[in-house]
Amino acid sequence: MSVVREAIVADADDEVDGAMADGAAAERVNDRAKAGRKILPIVEGLVLLAALLAPLVLQDYLTVFATRVIILALFALSFDLVWGYAGIMSFGQALFFGSAGYGVALLARDLNITNIFLVLPAGTLIGLTFALLLGGFLLLGRHPSSVIFVSLGTLTGSYAADRLARGWYYLGGQNGIPSIAPMSLGGYDFTEGPAFYYLVLGILVVVYLLCRFLVRSQFGLALAGLRENEQRIAFFGYKAQHLKAIIFTIGGAVAGLAGSLYAFHEGFVWPNMVGVVVSTQVVLYVLFGGSGTLIGAVIGAVIVEGVSFWLSDNYRDIWPIILGLLLLLVILFRPLGLISFVLGERERVGSFGAKQKETRNAP
Amino acid sequence: MANAFVAAFEILSFGAIIVLIVLGLGIIASMMGIFNFAQGEFVLLGAYITYLAYAKGLPIWAGMVAAPFVVGALGFVLEALIIRRFYAAPIVAMLGTYALGLIIREAVRGLIGGFYLTVPEPIGGSIDIGAMHISAWRFTIIVITLLVMGLCYLLLSRTSFGLRVRATLENPSLARASGISTPLIYGATFAFGAALAGLAGALIVPVFSLFADLGLRFLIQGFVAVMVGGVGSFIGPVAGAGVIGTLSAALPWVMAPVVADVLVFVLAIVFIKFRPQGLIAGKGV
Repeated sequence: MSVVREAIVADADDEVDGAMADGAAAERVNDRAKAGRKILPIVEGLVLLAALLAPLVLQDYLTVFATRVIILALFALSFDLVWGYAGIMSFGQALFFGSAGYGVALLARDLNITNIFLVLPAGTLIGLTFALLLGGFLLLGRHPSSVIFVSLGTLTGSYAADRLARGWYYLGGQNGIPSIAPMSLGGYDFTEGPAFYYLVLGILVVVYLLCRFLVRSQFGLALAGLRENEQRIAFFGYKAQHLKAIIFTIGGAVAGLAGSLYAFHEGFVWPNMVGVVVSTQVVLYVLFGGSGTLIGAVIGAVIVEGVSFWLSDNYRDIWPIILGLLLLLVILFRPLGLISFVLGERERVGSFGAKQKETRNAP
Repeated sequence: MANAFVAAFEILSFGAIIVLIVLGLGIIASMMGIFNFAQGEFVLLGAYITYLAYAKGLPIWAGMVAAPFVVGALGFVLEALIIRRFYAAPIVAMLGTYALGLIIREAVRGLIGGFYLTVPEPIGGSIDIGAMHISAWRFTIIVITLLVMGLCYLLLSRTSFGLRVRATLENPSLARASGISTPLIYGATFAFGAALAGLAGALIVPVFSLFADLGLRFLIQGFVAVMVGGVGSFIGPVAGAGVIGTLSAALPWVMAPVVADVLVFVLAIVFIKFRPQGLIAGKGV
């Protein structure tokens, strides 16, 4: 019976991604782990395929909406790195997203710099710098900070930035900075539409692959250990606080990249972009989709934004209530998010190196 | 002289409001270890109930008396149904209470729309001391805050209920072994904290008027105050609230309001970083 199942699963494995199937190992690996190993690439492939085809079937205004969703998915990715992989609850991720948005908006407004090769690195750098400063302050130090302190510290940072942006005349106050010039490459302007969509999608795929490489590396393994049991990782000799500060900074850089794209796509920035509302929005995406899997963050952003867009015509008033109820249900009954319906625990945690995998699954 | 007095009164009355709001938050955080993100929405509900009483033509004070009981009862039910599951994981508790708060806030927003609804002060007019006029209602808030603070302190330090709460805080398993029903104590404590938030909302609605984001405005200030004061005791959060409330009301008098606004938060975070135990360390009352 068991042999038959092995054979069937091995068959399926060969069909779907033969490259990953390893005949000898396949005998020893149990069903569940094998099934888990296969599902993630399928999900990722399907999402990518859907994303590639979307502009061909969607109407123009929907492509513009889809571009926004892709940017938000990139933003969700940054939060997922920080919370899903390192267990740092950053309630102020919008601080990096929004400050980068404001930064590139100022570059475009005051210095007339809109070249894509200048503004996107600048935005990334702004996000990285702010995250390094805030993360360094909150996470490093003689005594390790409590989770509560870090989460409330980031929340307060985001709230304070919101208040500052609202009150500072140079940043446009309540109204923010309107009509930002479009991002340019040579003589070409990136305006809303398929070109912008594919640019953003390309960036998302590149960042996604980089993150995937990062979390599958030794560094990623140490991070996963941090999330599960910080003390034990510290006893192994890792500098837990340094690891946390590094991933927090990387998360800030990704958020900064997303923020600068968002600013140019929408054409304006406003105080909410750095504030608590957007900060909690990204938490929603990742919790819905499934924290601790990169694709979960992307799916969460797409589903929350998509359903919200779809319902906004008829049910605009009650949608936030439904969202809250769904979030509560997910937290209570599906802490690993929607992705956990199709993805096993084994796959979520990931396997690190072929040899380890064999020994771990040995009966 | 007169100006300084008015300024001092303003600062005192704002400080009192923050203390009133933080009381419930601090009791829940200290006694149960949960940072309740829905606390701001309990304040909002208290304000909404007062408005409802006013809109139905009932006397305003009737709404103000009813608010803490209604919100407290709701808190008790929510604790039994939902909050109870979160005790093991403080971060999950934050997210769960955030979701609860979102539901309550958006429900109230649906009920009142995007408006700012005003409720008149039950005690109007002003108190005149020589040439100076101070708002009678704000003065009443200060008095009630002091009363509530004193009663809370007595409740926790002098009654057998307070003893049970403190025992549950110090050592839940020993408390259970001694025959204290800890789930009931947790439920009652959460309901008490919620009721205080409801009272705060009812009292401040004439000052700030009613709008859906009323609670959110105070929530972060409240959290910062609790952390500055020190989690674990009753006095800690109250002291923290006094400091934060006074600073946020006093600093705008000496510098640009925008800078003052942000400076309070920056100072608070730096303070907590270097003194994580807060102003008043230790557990108990």
